Amino acid sequence: MKVLIVEDEAPLRTSLLNCLRQDGYVCETAENYRHAHTKIKLYQYDCVLVDLTLPDGNGLDLVRTLKADQSPAGVLIISARDSLDDKIAGLDLGADDYLPKPFHLAELSARVRAIIRRRQFQGQHHIIFRDLVLFPDQNLVLVHDKPLNLTRKEYDLLLFLLASPNRVLTKEAIAEHIWGDAADMADSLDFIYSHLKNLRKKLQEAGADNYIRTIYGLGYKLASG
Amino acid sequence: MKLLTKTNRYYLVLVAALFVVGAVGLYQGTQWALAHEVDEQLVYHRDYLTQHIQRTQALPSVTNPNELSIGRRPQPITLGDTLLYDPVERTEVPFRTISFAVELGGQRHWLTLRKSLIETKEALAVSSGLMLGMLALMVVGVLLLNRWLSNRLWAPFRRTLAALRTYELTRPQALVLPATPIDEFSELNQAVAQLAERAASDYRVLKEFTENVAHETRTPLAIMQAKLEQLMQLDGLPPAATSPVRELYQATLRLSRLHQALTLLSKIENRQFASAVPVQLHELVAEKLGQLQDFTEAKRLKVRLSATVPLHAQMHPVLADSLVNNLLQNAIKHNYPGGRLWVRTSRGELEITNTGQPLDFDPMLLLERFRKHNAASDSPGLGLAIAHQICAFYGFRLRYSFSRTDGLHTLRVQL
Repeated sequence: MKVLIVEDEAPLRTSLLNCLRQDGYVCETAENYRHAHTKIKLYQYDCVLVDLTLPDGNGLDLVRTLKADQSPAGVLIISARDSLDDKIAGLDLGADDYLPKPFHLAELSARVRAIIRRRQFQGQHHIIFRDLVLFPDQNLVLVHDKPLNLTRKEYDLLLFLLASPNRVLTKEAIAEHIWGDAADMADSLDFIYSHLKNLRKKLQEAGADNYIRTIYGLGYKLASG
Repeated sequence: MKLLTKTNRYYLVLVAALFVVGAVGLYQGTQWALAHEVDEQLVYHRDYLTQHIQRTQALPSVTNPNELSIGRRPQPITLGDTLLYDPVERTEVPFRTISFAVELGGQRHWLTLRKSLIETKEALAVSSGLMLGMLALMVVGVLLLNRWLSNRLWAPFRRTLAALRTYELTRPQALVLPATPIDEFSELNQAVAQLAERAASDYRVLKEFTENVAHETRTPLAIMQAKLEQLMQLDGLPPAATSPVRELYQATLRLSRLHQALTLLSKIENRQFASAVPVQLHELVAEKLGQLQDFTEAKRLKVRLSATVPLHAQMHPVLADSLVNNLLQNAIKHNYPGGRLWVRTSRGELEITNTGQPLDFDPMLLLERFRKHNAASDSPGLGLAIAHQICAFYGFRLRYSFSRTDGLHTLRVQL
């Protein structure tokens, strides 16, 4: 899976690069409009991350170009402007998703995963992770080929973990993914703990190993080994 | 009072004064002139008769005894006034008389000439009447002219007023003031246009500034958050680093939330959420409450929702969302475990009531920025301030009241 990261701020660019490489993607970067334009004209990508505020152009024009060239690449717009108008314009142009800065890297990871999945696999698609098989289109989870009964929140949690295996996910990132704006309600972090506890229990009862590791003081990690 | 009325008053006073002076003057003058004319005629007639009698040595014949009477009795040799019965007019008529003596044939004869004043009196009446009439016409004319002038001459002023009333600083249309040939209004329009332009320019500058600040601070925040998350991925992170990293991370998130809330507030103030769509608030409230179910359940709150009465509003969807979210979250956050939460829609009103810690100050103070009941809490204290700002923007009334008797906090939004 090839991903192009278009972002002018160097520190942010390296963080994004790091994050997506860790997720297993082959990544390329572009730090301005000109480079980005050249790259999308020359190469094919599975997903393009576009920062709207570039020094020499507007990211939306890159989206237009991609769509005009009928590129099958998914487009995720990241923007420091957080403007509803931008979001609507971007989505209208055909972008797959819009993520305002600042965002949790885990959230970005999950969204890229979702875009690629949607674009690449129409119809039967499944995620395999150790003993788990997950069918996102059917909201179905199998452990050793037996269906697992999960609540909506537990299912979302599992899906989020699976989007970034071996990545430390903070409770805040998880909370924001599940509850959005309400994530800063005082009890949300305790919830994460209790939802995870239940998920672990169900997985264990179904005979799966304990994949979900607690990283003390920081968060949780889905360990692939 | 209206300018027209005020000017009319002055005009009327002036006109009335002039009228009185003029009327009195004209009446007296005309009367004097007419009387003088009659007297002159009498004197002239006397002199003529005197000469005539000297020449012809005969007395004139009396055709009208009212006008000339000849007698032997002495009369005073002056002009005088008398009343006689006039058969033509069938009434007593004032006459002006003059008496004189002539010597004829050794005998003294006394002649009295009389002239009827009725014509002069009529002349006086006519001229007075005419004058009164003209003055009345003048007054009416002035009043009508004033009214017409007010309508016509002040029209540019009224147009300027109308344009000012509908002018919105935040809309891109410039203030359009029609040209007018009247200097004063032209100057007014110019001054107003300049003022509006300055204000619009200041607003644009301020808006740009806020946008730039928001944008510029967002990037370092994003970098901080990303780097900390990157740091957390390291396997070799010393255990001693975990705590500082975690706390740094939480502080960064807190700063992010504050930044987001303040940016939202300034955007609302700068009227950057101008577009509006119909919003079904009763449905939105039910939806949001559902999303917050985890939190209401965790606090074992008894939730009662009666949102069957439709509540419609024209709002920007982001603001509608934010308003409902902030109100509900406030009611949940500051509630007792096991407390109660009522959400109710009624005609033109949304009411959220919850149990919670008693307040010993005016609850409306909590709608101000950074006002927190619990000063130590992590949240910036902007939730209700945002709700308040949104309501102010749409002209809704937001009231926060606390009832001591049943310990209930009530947030009421009146559309």
